[in-house]
Parts: sequence; structure tokens; C-alpha cells
Amino acid sequence: MKAMDFNSGKIPVWCPGCGNFAIWNAIKGALADLEINGKDVVNISGIGCSGKMLNHLRTYGFHTLHGRTLPVATGVKLSNHKLTVVVNGGDGDGYGMGVGHFIHAIRRNLDVTYLVHDNHIYGLTTGQASPTTDRGLKSKSTPHGVIDEPLNPLAVALNAGATFVARGYSGEVEHLKELIKEGINYNGFAYIDILQPCVTFGKTYSYEYYDERIYKLDESYDFTNFDNAMEKIWEKEKIALGIIYKKERDEYASLHPQLKDDILVNSTGKLRDILEELEKFK
Amino acid sequence: MSVITWKIGGPAGFGIMSAGPMFAMALKRSGYSVHGYPEYPSIIRGGYNNYHVTFSDKPVFSVYNRCDILVALDKVVFDSETITKNMIVIADFDNIKGTEDLECKKVNIPFKKILKDNELPDIVKNSIALGVSAKILGIDEEILFTLFKENYPAKVLDMNISAAKIGMEFCLDEMKFKVPKGNSNFKDNLLMTGNEAIALGAVKAGLGFYSTYPMTPASSILHYLAKLEEKYGIIVKHTEDEISGIIMAIGASYAGVRAMTGTSGGGLSLMTEGVGLAAITETPLVIALSQRPGPATGMPTWTEQADLKFVLNISQDEFVKIVLTPGDLNELFYMTFEAFNLADRYQVPVFVLTDKFLSESHFCEAIFSDNGLKIDRGFIFEGNSEAPMEFFPRYKEVENGIPMKSNPGTPGGLYKAPGNEHDEFGFVATDSRTRIKNQDRRFKKEEFIKKELPLPRLYGAKEAEITFVCWGSTKQPLMEALKHTDKFNFFHFSAVNPIDWEKVKELLKDKNLVAIETNYTGQLASVIAEKTGIVIKDKYLKYDGRPFFVEEIIEFVKRGN
Ligand SMILES: Cc1ncc(C[n+]2csc(CCOP(=O)(O)OP(=O)(O)O)c2C)c(N)n1
Ligand code: SF4
Repeated sequence: MKAMDFNSGKIPVWCPGCGNFAIWNAIKGALADLEINGKDVVNISGIGCSGKMLNHLRTYGFHTLHGRTLPVATGVKLSNHKLTVVVNGGDGDGYGMGVGHFIHAIRRNLDVTYLVHDNHIYGLTTGQASPTTDRGLKSKSTPHGVIDEPLNPLAVALNAGATFVARGYSGEVEHLKELIKEGINYNGFAYIDILQPCVTFGKTYSYEYYDERIYKLDESYDFTNFDNAMEKIWEKEKIALGIIYKKERDEYASLHPQLKDDILVNSTGKLRDILEELEKFK
Repeated sequence: MSVITWKIGGPAGFGIMSAGPMFAMALKRSGYSVHGYPEYPSIIRGGYNNYHVTFSDKPVFSVYNRCDILVALDKVVFDSETITKNMIVIADFDNIKGTEDLECKKVNIPFKKILKDNELPDIVKNSIALGVSAKILGIDEEILFTLFKENYPAKVLDMNISAAKIGMEFCLDEMKFKVPKGNSNFKDNLLMTGNEAIALGAVKAGLGFYSTYPMTPASSILHYLAKLEEKYGIIVKHTEDEISGIIMAIGASYAGVRAMTGTSGGGLSLMTEGVGLAAITETPLVIALSQRPGPATGMPTWTEQADLKFVLNISQDEFVKIVLTPGDLNELFYMTFEAFNLADRYQVPVFVLTDKFLSESHFCEAIFSDNGLKIDRGFIFEGNSEAPMEFFPRYKEVENGIPMKSNPGTPGGLYKAPGNEHDEFGFVATDSRTRIKNQDRRFKKEEFIKKELPLPRLYGAKEAEITFVCWGSTKQPLMEALKHTDKFNFFHFSAVNPIDWEKVKELLKDKNLVAIETNYTGQLASVIAEKTGIVIKDKYLKYDGRPFFVEEIIEFVKRGN
């Protein structure tokens, strides 16, 4: 299958120039390169401009509530661990509403690929500050400037024990596609924060802003070193792209003896014999 | 008929909640029908715990206020219980001040001295008490010791058996209590809690996924299912919160697995948005709700039936939901089983309502049978391997408003399940035609569900001075009270929504109706008024965290004359 084959046929309603287009293309390209059939993919989307991804992929899809992508992903993946699960949400969705689920999904190391469209702003609700908006920035909900310290989501992930932490950028589609492929191939929770310019409301975090600051991690970078990773994540002037930290760890579904032989879907909904249990109540 | 009640009480941490149910089981195995009712505060040490057993050679259903035999493991019992003349009270009277003048039949067991002389630890006090109780009631000691063996780890077993034996030795013949002979009919009955019946109904129905966050009095569903998960190949998850609990279950159900969540009112408040998500995505889901008093944290370990209207109106906008209100173990088991069929067939949220009284008390009923149990997974798309990447009209009506499900992985079954209003393929849609078409289609299901749900059933004589109207657990005290008077009969609603209200109206008309509920406003009565126009003016309501005691109902009926 070619990348084009993953088009759903619905025309995106993102603003022209929105970073979400690049993420869309990168996902389609990654699925095509990996030769995964759309019937075996579930795309779980949150609420926000990011969540509209659901409409544009020729795959199974679940458009959940605001902030609740990862619990859906957990239910889906444990029920059918053969499926490829790709999760899309915004920074408001994942780091605001859903930050608790984010940390717990990391603890579980569920085998899904989590793409956060991080535009440092709320897009769909027309431009309020998000948890990653810098201090001082004025927005609709913070006309006097943000006074909260921004969240560093990659640091949160690393500290919570994430073993696949990466950063991508909408201005680097090929690079992003490769990251998503690595993420899908990774046997565990692959978390990719994606710098995504919102051309309408996120004027500060523009393509120019990022183009001046980003650089790609190369082969000399050792992503298995936790201290290196922490250092990269807290860099002030420059922004590193690529896999920042990666390590092998037991994947969640594999820790369930119930799932050793088959997917859960195949054993559910059949009349069970419970006589042995009932005897214990006699 | 003789109904005997035995109660054991003491501070939390004294093993009341293991000794009580064990003794209830000893009585059942001796051939009695048994009911066991626990009361405890929401603290782990200190505070007053008690377990009240009612038994008889005829079926018993519920708890009395009266206590015939009281085992008081500590002074706190005398601060909390009303001691009457006819009661047999088992206690270490020499060591409890203020009991000298009590008028009751005292069975003085020197617990303190026994423990000291035999170098036994405090924790076996409850076993001494069980030994004494067994002797007084003529329970075969082998029955008791077999139960000890089943319940205690090997290293403390002998210690508990010897403690019980020492207790027995202190009983003189004149202390014995006259009891009717046990009746072999009950030996094969089950003695279990309501939550266990719910869990087993779900396991029987092929439950695949249970996810939730602990909240009394629903937690024991989680605990029991967690114990069974590997044996039956179920996934049971204690999630980070209730929001995750319900959403995970929705994810599992979307993937094709039978899924359930369970909680109490506070947890359901958090789950509310998720219920709406299940509704609009038409993802089958079973929700067990065990009610307790109070908004917010309320009274965690006590009982009330005040969430009926919350559930009926849950989540924004309007959608079809099924609300089942079973009243005994059998109804809990079979209705939970059927809840999964209803959820799969109609693709709507299905609630199974219970409350602390029904969830955590022990009830004694005949074994559940397989007869007539059938699994119905509803309409599921088989797939089309010719065109694996085709979108599928998941939300197109197949029959009676019901569309066909397609599980992810099915070739040619691609679709989107959105929390947004959507077209047949699940793509977001906001045009007025689509919206109206969807609402009309989804509500069409109601007509068909109505025909499947049970109408209120009449218990007692056909005609009576008073006809109580109740739902859920209140069936139990009414059944017990019926044994004492024929002045009333009662209608029990084991389902409230959607049911055929026209038929209900026929059933209820021309009767002297009294609503009996454990809530402040009479919620079922209000639903009946809304649906049928029948206004039930007389209400007998209780909202102190306790179930109706049998004597209270008898009193009420007498006063009614
Ligand atoms: C419970 C709830 N609260 C609020 C909203 C409204 N809402 C929709 S999208 C959104 C913010 C989305 O921001 P973000 O996740 O950053 O996504 P973006 O639109 O920027 O891609 C909000 C607050 C909602 N849908 N649900
Ligand atoms: S508002 Fe921003 S994030 Fe949303 S579509 Fe437009 S550019 Fe993209």
C-alpha cells in the first residue's frame, strides 16, 4: 500500500499551513513503509484540531473525549494486542486534561505510539494558553500574560519512566515519518512530542521560530543514556529532534498470562462454566 | 415460624467480618436458611463493627432489629447496642464495667483470662466466641472446624481451633438455646454477597474486561473478579481513576470484548461523561452501580437507594439507557448476565443498580442454573476480504434502530467511532438531517427494549390493604415482613427503564399504594408519577444509612390501620 491509500477521502479542515498536515503525511508514510494494512490499525484521537486526524486516515478509529485517548488505547490494545494503535492528541488534550493518564500509560508501557501535536496553544477553542505555553505569553485566557511555569512534557515522561521519548517537528516530515516508524516498531509506549506550528493562534511558535532553533540528533548521540537525555530535554536555546531516550522494557500486554495464547477478543462472550466457583459458596 | 438472630460485635480489627460470615456459613451448613448483614464504619482500627445473622428452618430474607444472641467482644458493644431482658449476651462481664445491672441472660466467658492462661493472642477472641456460639446453638463442631480449615492459613489454624474448644468448655447445658432442627433443603444453597452474584453473572456471560477504581460498596466486585482473572482469562484493571476505568472498558468493548465497570455514586459522577461517550458511539457497556448515602463522599459504608434519578438522567442530552434494579441474588446473577446480551444487542449503556445492603450482605439462595442461558452478541459484521480497506456503514440501521458492529481487524469493516455526531461511517457530521436521523434511529431501540424488560412483579396475596411499591434491595425486608402479616402485598420493580409504562399503569391502578424506598424524596414514586400520572401520596422513606428492618415494616403496616 502507498501512503496515498491511507487517505480517507475526507478533505482536512485544518487552516492552510497548519502543522497538522505534515503529521498526517508522516503517519500515512510510516504505515505505508511498514506495510501495515489499514484494517489492522486503530487511530485513537483526542479532542482539538489534533483530534481531527481521525477523519483523515483510512483505518479504524475512535474519537474519544477530551483528554481520554490513552485509556481507550489501553482497552483496545489489551483486547486485541495484534492491532497497531496510533494515538493523536494535542498538548491541551494530553498534558492538561489527560496528564494523569499520560503518566500511567508510561508506567504500564503499553505498546502504542502516542503522538502529541504540541502547538503550545489551544487551537480548536481559538487560542487559549496551554500547559506548554511559555511564561509571559498573552493569550485569550491569559490577557495579562501566563504566570504558570510551562510543563516540560518530555521531562515528565522521562521521570515517569518512559523508555521511548522522542521529539519531531512538522517542518521535517521525512524525519518525523522515520520517528513514527521507530515508534510503531518499538515494543512498548512510544511517545513522540511533535512541534506543530499553529499558524492561526500560535504566532510565537512559528516555523521561523523553530527553524532557527532545531537541530537533529545524529549517530554520535547515545540515546540509551538517561543523563544525556535529561540534558537534551532541558536545553534552552536549541531544540533537539530525534529519539532522545530509548531502552528495552517489558511491554504491558506480554505481562498478562491471560494473553499468552490468543487475543482477548477470541475468548470473550462465550458461556462459561462456573460450577467450581459456585461450590465454594456452599 | 421461628426466626433467630445472632450478632457479633466489637471494635474494627477484632475479626468481626471474618467470624460473622463464617458463623453464617456454619449455620447454613447445619441446614438453616441464613441472612448476614454487616455494619462497619469507614475506618480500619477502632469504631464499632458488627455482623448480624438471621436464620431459620424456613427461608429468611432480611435483617431484624431484634437480636436474640449477642456476642460482645468488647465494651464498645454495650455503648452501641440496646440490651433487652430476653437477650442472651456473651461477654467477659467480669472485665466490662457498667454491665453489672444489665437485665439480660448473661453468658459470662472470661475471654481475658482464657487468653492469658493459654498464652493465646487477642486475635483469637473471635474464635472463642464462635466456639461458645456453636455450643449454645447446637452446631456440630466439625462443621465449624471445617470452616476454620477453609478460612485460616495453616499456621494459625490449630490456635483458632483450640481457642474455640476452650470456649465450648465454658458452656453449661442451661446456656443452650432452643433452636428448630436444621432442614437439609438449605444445605446445597449458596450463601453469597450481592456483589459476588454480580461478578459471577458477568463471568458466566463471558466477561472479558473489567476496569475501575475502588469505591465502597462496589469494590468487592473488583476484588472478586481480580481473584478470578487468570482462571477465566479475564482482564481486570484497577485504573488511575474512574474516568480511566470507564473509558478503558469502552475501548475494550469497541475492540470487541464484553466489558464492564462498577462503582458507587462518586465514581459514577466522574464516569458520567464516559456514559455519554458509550451512548453516542453505541459501544455496548455494562455498569454496576452500588449506591451509598450522600453526595460527595457521604457515608461510605452505609446503604441508600438515592441514585435512581441520577442514573436515569445521566450525562448531557437525551439517549437510551437500560436501568436494571434487581432485588435478590438470583436477579443480580441473571440480570447481570442478561445485561451483557442487552448491551450487545442494543448497543446502549446498561446499568445494574445495587446498594450497600444488597452488595455486601450475605443472602442464601438455590444454586444458579444454566437453564435457558444464551449468549447474544448482537449484529457483528463478518468481514469482506475482497475489499479489506473499505469503509463500512457501521451506523446504518440494520433492524429496529440497531446498526451492525464491526470489530477492528475485520477486513472491509473500517469505521470511525466518534464522540461527535456522525454519519453512517462515523465521520463527524453536523447537518440537521443527519442529526435528526440518528436521534430517531437511536431512540427507536427503546420500543423493542421495552418488550424485553420485566414489568413490576406482585408479591404476597393478590389483594391486600396496602400495596407497597419498591425497587432493588427493598424487596428483601418486604419478603421477610410478608411472613408476619397479610395486610400488605408489594410490587417490586426489577427494571425501571425503559419499561412499558402503559402496562404498569394498569397494574398499579385502584390500589392503596405506598412507596417504600431508602431515600429522602421517593425517587421511584416520582418516576411513576412522571410516566403514568399516578401520584403515590403515601410514602414510607428511610434515609439513615440503614436498610428497612423487618419490625419497622410490620409496625408501619399496623399503624396504617
Ligand atoms: C470536557 C471538555 N472540556 C472542554 C472541551 C472544549 N475543547 C475542545 S478542544 C479544546 C482544546 C484543545 O487544545 P489542544 O489539545 O491543545 O488541541 P489543538 O486544538 O491545539 O490541536 C477544548 C478545551 C471539550 N471538548 N471537552
Ligand atoms: S487553529 Fe491552529 S492548530 Fe487548528 S487547524 Fe488552524 S492552524 Fe492548525
